Amino acid sequence: MEQNPRPRTVLETLGEEIIRIVTPVSICMLSVVILVSILNGDSSSAGDLPITTMATIAYKESSSDSTWDKLKGALLNSLVFVAVVTVVTFLLVLLFYLRCTKFLKYYMGFSAFLVLGFMGGEIALLLIQDFSFPVDCITSAILLFNFTVVGVLAVFMSKMAIFVTQAYLVVIGMLVAYWFTLLPEWTTWVLLVAMALYDLAAVLLPGGPLRLLVELAMSRDEDIPALVYEARPVINDSGPSGGVVRRRVWREGRGDTDENQGLSTNTRSGLSSDSTPGTHLSVGIGEHEMNLADAEEGRVTGGDSELTTPLVQHINVQMNSSENAVPSENLVLEGIGLGSSGAIKLGLGDFIFYSVLVGRAAMYDFMTVYACYLAIIAGLGVTLMLLAFYRKALPALPVSIMLGVLFYLLTRLLLEDFVVQCSMNLLMF
Amino acid sequence: MTVAAGIGYVLLALGSSLSLFIAVISHKPFLVLILLSSTLVWLMSLIALSAVWRGFIPFKTAAWWPYALLILTSVASQEALRLLLWRLYKRMEELLDAFAGRVSKPRLVITDKMQIALAGGMGHGVAHAVFFCISLLTPAFGSATYYVEKCSRIPFFLVSAMIALAFVTIHTFSMVIAFSGYSEGNRTDQYFAPVIHLAAGMLTLINLGSGGCIIGIPLLYGMAILTLLHCGKLVWRRLTENRRQGNIY
Repeated sequence: MEQNPRPRTVLETLGEEIIRIVTPVSICMLSVVILVSILNGDSSSAGDLPITTMATIAYKESSSDSTWDKLKGALLNSLVFVAVVTVVTFLLVLLFYLRCTKFLKYYMGFSAFLVLGFMGGEIALLLIQDFSFPVDCITSAILLFNFTVVGVLAVFMSKMAIFVTQAYLVVIGMLVAYWFTLLPEWTTWVLLVAMALYDLAAVLLPGGPLRLLVELAMSRDEDIPALVYEARPVINDSGPSGGVVRRRVWREGRGDTDENQGLSTNTRSGLSSDSTPGTHLSVGIGEHEMNLADAEEGRVTGGDSELTTPLVQHINVQMNSSENAVPSENLVLEGIGLGSSGAIKLGLGDFIFYSVLVGRAAMYDFMTVYACYLAIIAGLGVTLMLLAFYRKALPALPVSIMLGVLFYLLTRLLLEDFVVQCSMNLLMF
Repeated sequence: MTVAAGIGYVLLALGSSLSLFIAVISHKPFLVLILLSSTLVWLMSLIALSAVWRGFIPFKTAAWWPYALLILTSVASQEALRLLLWRLYKRMEELLDAFAGRVSKPRLVITDKMQIALAGGMGHGVAHAVFFCISLLTPAFGSATYYVEKCSRIPFFLVSAMIALAFVTIHTFSMVIAFSGYSEGNRTDQYFAPVIHLAAGMLTLINLGSGGCIIGIPLLYGMAILTLLHCGKLVWRRLTENRRQGNIY
């Protein structure tokens, strides 16, 4: 056997942060696909939302309409939805400007309660019905209540075990995404595209609400309270950084850092140093989605810890979205960014919209699911690369959604027939 | 034929890839990224091929030569893509080595390179298995099964899962062979992958005949075993050479 220990090459740790974000996104998408196949499997058209929601207020799709009617109706729906989201985002910016942070935090907890309690309860009920699971209503009420309360605490408190918080955030994303898949088909697709475009506008245009919010938060050096998924940071020594993991710090972005050498120059600097991370968190109230990306320097903490080599060193993607499946529901979500310890944070809105796309693809066939999954992950990777390159706020949703929709159409129209024909004749290559 | 059967077919096609993934690839995040990108690239190649052939299928004739042409063009374009992937891989290797230099870590060693090739090949295999076999398995989770006339003794799902397993093996390891051949300049290895791919594709033409799958599938497995053996020999040779040269791997 080998006498010398194997040298630890750069391949051991490269790309770890990306995987730490890709894994929960994949888990969320997988759960939504499973939920959709179990619960919507019997009827394709009877799975529509029984109530009028914000997204179907303008037009209720029925399968007897012509294609043109459906398209027009879907466009109308999406327009209304995007308009509502824009208004609510501006409201959010106003509230943040007036320093109503406490209100926002309580609102966030309240919406988590609603999502977990009511949406989660309904889905649990549907599952119990489907599988004829023998449980009485008192037991399930107690279980649901406990589950919801722990979830609200996980979202509120920063002292909770990080795994619990991550799990609850993924569950919240999954529940909201499932409810979104109940919208009519054309409305869903047009809505996805519309939200991607809105994202693009809100982040890149000078008057965009997300941009305003980020600049506000940056100038005040404050935290925005929001629902954000934070991946475990890539560190080997968890000593001094243990308590800092959950801190979200605002810093001014400076452009003079060496893109690729960020680590070595900042290894020994403390956490409050002058290094140039610029984390951005955006808050969403009601329905709006903000996608921002900003550059931040990755950092290594701890004295003797081995240098970790993040593939993405200056990535700060910020996304923020909230959905309103039921009109009174509001979620406050936070964007993606790099925390002060170098961990990537991802806003819940991305989880939700990616899962909606994949869930919708699952309602057609599993081939589209696989194709859309790959497209979305590729889009996520491309966005992170773009961020590392441009080092400024960039919307992260559009690339993935556009790729996802493109691959869905290509698979549905082209690939499926080809593959089925070849496979039926047992011809493979 | 129930969920258990459906899961069984999935594991039949992808079980060995899953164990390889857990044992080798899941420990290094970069390899997982390579796997995902490779799967995406081969999916795009399949979509491009389907775009080209969409107008012609289903074939109206019962003759075998349109199918042969289909397989020929598909294999040819996929092999051209493999060359392109090799170029990309060379670029990436340079970037990685430069990056390793900057953070004062050793350059990529030979096992790293072979693992990257393995991940790339597995992406190809997984793309094949997922799109040719797994995505058609949805009815298998229900309560019935399906038979094809040409191969009427075994359920269609089982046949396609077995063929997928053979192809996954072929694709995964021929990438390792091909990349090793390109880097060393070894002609045998360089031509091994395209030849085996084409031969395997052509062997599936036997399935067009009635009862042909009884001959075709064992031959296909013969190809897969040949690929495995060749890859094993190649890797063994390179590692022992490397060790003899005094490098640690």
